[in-house]
Amino acid sequence: MISALKKELESAFKNIQIVIPEDNRLTITAPKDTVLTILSFLKDKGYDHLALISCTDWIEEKEFELVYIINSYGEKISIILKSRISRENPQFITTIPVFENAEPYEREIHELYGINFEGHPRLTPLFLEREYEIPPFRKDFDTRKYVEEFFDEIPFVEENK
Amino acid sequence: MTKKSKINKGSFLDPFKAIRFLWKKPKTLRYPFEPKEPALRCRGFHLNDWDKCTGCGNCADICPNEAITMVEIPELKSKPEEGIKNERPKLDYGRCCFCGLCIDICPPGSLRLSRDYFHIHFKTDTFSFIPKDEKSDKENFLPAEKYSVLKASLTHRKKDYEGFASDLKYSLFEPEQVPMPHVKPEERKLSFIEQVIGYNKEEAKKEASRCLECKLCEEACPAHLKISDYILAIYEDKPQESLKKIFEDNPIPSICGRICMKHCEEACSLSIRGEAVAVRWLKRYVADTIKDYKTTLELEPARPSGKKVAVIGAGPGGLSVAYFLRLKGHEVTVFDSLPGGGGMVRIGPPLYRLPIEAIDKDVNHIASMGVEFKFNTTVGKDILFENIMKDYNAVYLGIGTTLSRSTKVKNAEKCLLALNFLQENKIGKEEKVGKEIIVIGGGNVAMDVAREALRLQHMQYPDQEVITKTVSLEDWDIMPAKKDEIEEAKEEGIQFNPAWGPKEVVLDEKGNVKGLLCMKVKSVFDEQGKFAPSFHEDKEMFLGGDMIIEAIGQATDFSFIPKELFEKFEFTERRKVKVDGNGQTSISKVFAGGDIVNLNLDAVTAIADAKIAAEGIDKHLSS
Amino acid sequence: MRELELYFGPQHLGMVGNFSITLKVEGDRILEATANPGYLHRGFEKLMELRTWIQNFPLVCRINVVEPDHMEMVYAMAVEKLANIEVPERAHYVRSVYLELARVGSHLFGLWAYANMLGFDTVANWAMYHHDLVLDLFEELTGGRVYHIYIWPGGVRRDFPEGFKDKIVNTLHSIGGCVPDYDATFFNNPLFYERTKDVGKIARDEAKRLGAVGQVLRATGMKFDIRKVEPYAAYNNVDWDVPTREDGDVYSRLWVIRDEMIESVHMIFKLLDKMPSGDVYNRVPNPFKWNIPKGEAYVRTESSRGELGLYMVSNGEDKPYRVHFRTPSYTHGLIILEKLLKNASIADVGNIMISLYVVAPEIDR
Repeated sequence: MISALKKELESAFKNIQIVIPEDNRLTITAPKDTVLTILSFLKDKGYDHLALISCTDWIEEKEFELVYIINSYGEKISIILKSRISRENPQFITTIPVFENAEPYEREIHELYGINFEGHPRLTPLFLEREYEIPPFRKDFDTRKYVEEFFDEIPFVEENK
Repeated sequence: MTKKSKINKGSFLDPFKAIRFLWKKPKTLRYPFEPKEPALRCRGFHLNDWDKCTGCGNCADICPNEAITMVEIPELKSKPEEGIKNERPKLDYGRCCFCGLCIDICPPGSLRLSRDYFHIHFKTDTFSFIPKDEKSDKENFLPAEKYSVLKASLTHRKKDYEGFASDLKYSLFEPEQVPMPHVKPEERKLSFIEQVIGYNKEEAKKEASRCLECKLCEEACPAHLKISDYILAIYEDKPQESLKKIFEDNPIPSICGRICMKHCEEACSLSIRGEAVAVRWLKRYVADTIKDYKTTLELEPARPSGKKVAVIGAGPGGLSVAYFLRLKGHEVTVFDSLPGGGGMVRIGPPLYRLPIEAIDKDVNHIASMGVEFKFNTTVGKDILFENIMKDYNAVYLGIGTTLSRSTKVKNAEKCLLALNFLQENKIGKEEKVGKEIIVIGGGNVAMDVAREALRLQHMQYPDQEVITKTVSLEDWDIMPAKKDEIEEAKEEGIQFNPAWGPKEVVLDEKGNVKGLLCMKVKSVFDEQGKFAPSFHEDKEMFLGGDMIIEAIGQATDFSFIPKELFEKFEFTERRKVKVDGNGQTSISKVFAGGDIVNLNLDAVTAIADAKIAAEGIDKHLSS
Repeated sequence: MRELELYFGPQHLGMVGNFSITLKVEGDRILEATANPGYLHRGFEKLMELRTWIQNFPLVCRINVVEPDHMEMVYAMAVEKLANIEVPERAHYVRSVYLELARVGSHLFGLWAYANMLGFDTVANWAMYHHDLVLDLFEELTGGRVYHIYIWPGGVRRDFPEGFKDKIVNTLHSIGGCVPDYDATFFNNPLFYERTKDVGKIARDEAKRLGAVGQVLRATGMKFDIRKVEPYAAYNNVDWDVPTREDGDVYSRLWVIRDEMIESVHMIFKLLDKMPSGDVYNRVPNPFKWNIPKGEAYVRTESSRGELGLYMVSNGEDKPYRVHFRTPSYTHGLIILEKLLKNASIADVGNIMISLYVVAPEIDR
């Protein structure tokens, strides 16, 4: 079942690498311009539930990695699709035409990492209440420095006696 | 389900069935008049037993919210050799989330959680406190009659109200050591094969992963080695890094990895409810894994300073001071009367514990740094001490205790002395032993002598009945030898006779030794604690034997120092050479360290003294 | 009629949790609804990157206040997958009993919230009382009533105390004996039928298209439960069934919740009979020196609201590199709620929202 899917994907698309780490997971690494076509291909095959869109910040390699996790409603196979974009001026294209429930995931990634999604109807703030210089989930955002600068220095509690 | 499920619209009168609850008792508790008892595992406020707590600080390291800090309590005393610090944990309840991770990692099990959880107060600084226990804090813990829920707070708590406690089966640390493979007793008593086989890479990594990095061992070690750093390097599979860390304080790891007295393992926090981390075996693993120290360390001596230093004695102290001074650029010459390096370590510990190749590996490395060794040179005979004082800018005395003491009972001159026996067997020619040997003494040297004599008996009289017996003044509870030495000697079949003292050596008609007449010991130490044995003269026992060896202690040989210089030496009341904070004696050019200065009488304290003396000599030479 | 903008804000009698909806109304009819999450954003995923693997485990359960147990389970499963740790057999059974008890408690809490909002205060207080009995059981087992901190990688933290099995059986019998009262007062009540039939209806295709999981999907007739699709712990060793209904409205969703509660209680009795003896914990390495090899993992479980998943990336160090929770209330609360509230009346806002089982801390993390 899963190896048949792997063969079909490899014959339909070039430039992608597929790994099967265990018997119900498939990991695809693809360049960024083929992501939408692979997603619609998988949706036609019956994998029509988008579970998660996530983002990892590889600061040493100077890249962001977008991760799409797709399941099917009947089988236990989960497919992880990964693609990398550059860290300076990150841009990507929205996947709402394929999966309708991608909208809040992309809004959250835009707010917390600073990635711009073209074609998204409303990229307004979702969780955070103010603007930050560096988007807060990036690895160069120092949480302790932020706490010291933004909140007043709280005096250390002394012992009673 | 594929069939359509039944939908019951229900009748209008059904809900009125609930009216019968009007006549039932309500289930709400009328708190605080009907209080609810918390469960037996409730996670409430902390309790700490100050007698068991060692101040190691593991609870502060693991807290995910940084709620615990260690504060110093001036009323308590630090005891570094037992691994006790005078610090105790202090909690901030504004940050604590009552997760209980600090309970699961506490090695002595002194930190527990209680079933109290109420505290209401106007001032915020009462929420930060140092937890105690009902043993040490009588006023805040009240029995059930005097306790009232309405006044409950951190200063009004109930006695005997313990909750979540530590359990060794579910703890976050591993209490068992990785077992070290040994050669079995039946095989090892037949020859001088090295008893300990050594860890391989997986076992060393697994043992290194047990260390909790609390650093109590570093304060107990006399030389203050950076133990947790070198164990971390072994865990990360970098033995070269580990060797560099060891060499900052100890240049003879191959020797110490086999015979060190392991003060660190006595202080290890895991040894309270489990087994300590095997620090000595890990050092031995590093020293054996790296074949060539020089290419790994890549250290070169500094620019030549033009000063010359003489070191008398190539024992652990002498070798270390030679290494440290050579790194600073001075020219060092080491004199020793034995044919090789190591000093007491070369003749003392038997071959099954410390083979000669291990000693030579360390000594050759120090020689390759440019230190000149003059072996088979006895100061006082082959070269005069006055000439050394003239030709060299500074002198270090690492002469140790080389003369064996004797019991001086009747016919004692027929007995052998321990150091002569060991030296002949190790680096001279083998002694012919008798079939029944008696060893007088209860210390580590006596154990070495007895186990060596046993092996020689098996090698020289194969398939015959042989026996080795020991006789010591001390009974089992105060026998000075280490516990595992006594256990291993018992496994090999040595017969012990504790609390008997030697009275007379009995000879036969031809003048050969027939046995030892012993008398029962009444006490070993007097009321002031000084060594003054007393005996029951009427209770006697005769032990048969054809060879007796005395192993009751050693003294220093100062005969090479000329009389005018010797009178200028100052001694302490325990009859050791007096040195100041730089290792300098009362004679300006002469520095000293090792067994003639300290009371521990082991290798690592000699290395510690040598390090201090090396700094002192360097300062003296540059001024 | 004019358009009016109403704030169904974070303090409201019909709202459970800190969550707000902005409504554009015309009379009693809603034209457009916008969800405003963010009142409970604590930044857990960033905080977890700064602590070691074992230090994270008291943080994980605080993400979802109502049902913290499935969060601990999914974190422990991800770490065990990345580090290749085996869990003993008895620990699987203990974990399953614990998770099913959590499911019963969470459904009772949801019943309280829903009945309170509709105005059925009697049933709400009964549900809260039974929820409290379940919390007493948890306190006996783990030491804490709400945040249990019990499942960690390698097994569970302590074994059952003495006499605990009988306590579970007695408590569940007393709860189960009240089911006819619940049915008579609430589920078979004609007022309940009038308020909930054909309200907030969603068809099966639309639910699949919008990414619904959990009861929302099972109430449209589709049998989809992660415990059957990708079994974990001891769910494979007992036989049980997945309850469903067909209509997809609020009425069906609440009946599915009631059937699931009864199924969980039966499952606990079967698991307690089959439980083997043995250890419950395989010791993991020292927390200060535990490096997990490089890799990534995606694991999922079925919490009481739907599919709960965790995507975890490790870089070979002693701290996680990236942790991302996929919570079921995310799609239900931000996409499906906005679609279902179109053309509904203002009185039904709380009705629809609580029946979708939206819990605000899960959305914001």
